[in-house]
Amino acid sequence: MEVPRAAGREEAAAGSRSTTWRWTALSGVALLVLVTVHMLANHLVVEQVGGLRTYRQVLEYIGNPVIFVIESLFLIVVTAHAMLGLRSVLLDFGLSPATKHVLDRGLVALGVITVAYGVVLIGVLASRA
Amino acid sequence: MSDRVDDHPGSGGPSSDHDLEAIRAARGVAGPVQRKGIGPVAWFDVRRRGAGHLAFSLNRITGLGLVFYLYLHLAVLSMLLGGASSWSSFLRVATLPAFLGLDVLLIFGLLVHGLNGLRVALVGSGYAPDRQKALYWSLMVFGGILLLGAAIHIVGSA
Repeated sequence: MEVPRAAGREEAAAGSRSTTWRWTALSGVALLVLVTVHMLANHLVVEQVGGLRTYRQVLEYIGNPVIFVIESLFLIVVTAHAMLGLRSVLLDFGLSPATKHVLDRGLVALGVITVAYGVVLIGVLASRA
Repeated sequence: MSDRVDDHPGSGGPSSDHDLEAIRAARGVAGPVQRKGIGPVAWFDVRRRGAGHLAFSLNRITGLGLVFYLYLHLAVLSMLLGGASSWSSFLRVATLPAFLGLDVLLIFGLLVHGLNGLRVALVGSGYAPDRQKALYWSLMVFGGILLLGAAIHIVGSA
């Protein structure tokens, strides 16, 4: 049976919204876990390096492989969640489909740049430890 | 709390798929409605709104605050690239009592956004859909206790 074009578009839009919502919720729950892991690891590793005050202590902390992996993963998930959230807020303005398309591309680009910059930053600092 | 469309999957935002004229018309209607305004202006419109609106608005505002903090945090960490002297001068500012107050504000944002987000995820996924209000207030009380503990810890370590 042929689905009317308008109805098809509505279904597609609803499906897209549902997928976005699921990713937001999933990344949000992952963040709750990662924040807990981040705090626990932070606490243990910070004790190992004797605090997190001096330049040397911060570098030693970031230079720990476990911290490097946790922080990188944290950055990826938090950026994805942030971009999805920003999208949701900006859609409050009732954007046209064309503007929405530009917004999606812009947020993907911003997210990729943010993660790339953050991972390179952590990597450079870890290499100085 | 059931008046918020954003608490459910399938919603892409308050005005992404609705006729804006209908939203404008709904502004004047008494009682709970899905939304009375367009965009962030509606977040601060507390007329005839309940806990659902408060939860929605707080989630939006804290979310934007946390996005700002993400980039601020990256900027602060970038100071480490400048070496020990750059980091030390930042630390002198970061350990001021006023700055520690911002830490408490950050934890407030994290707790409100995280715990309310957990409620939205649970309700939207079909778990406890009829316990929204109880879930919201119990999570906020739990968050309040955690915030108090964190504030005491931060002030105590100053």
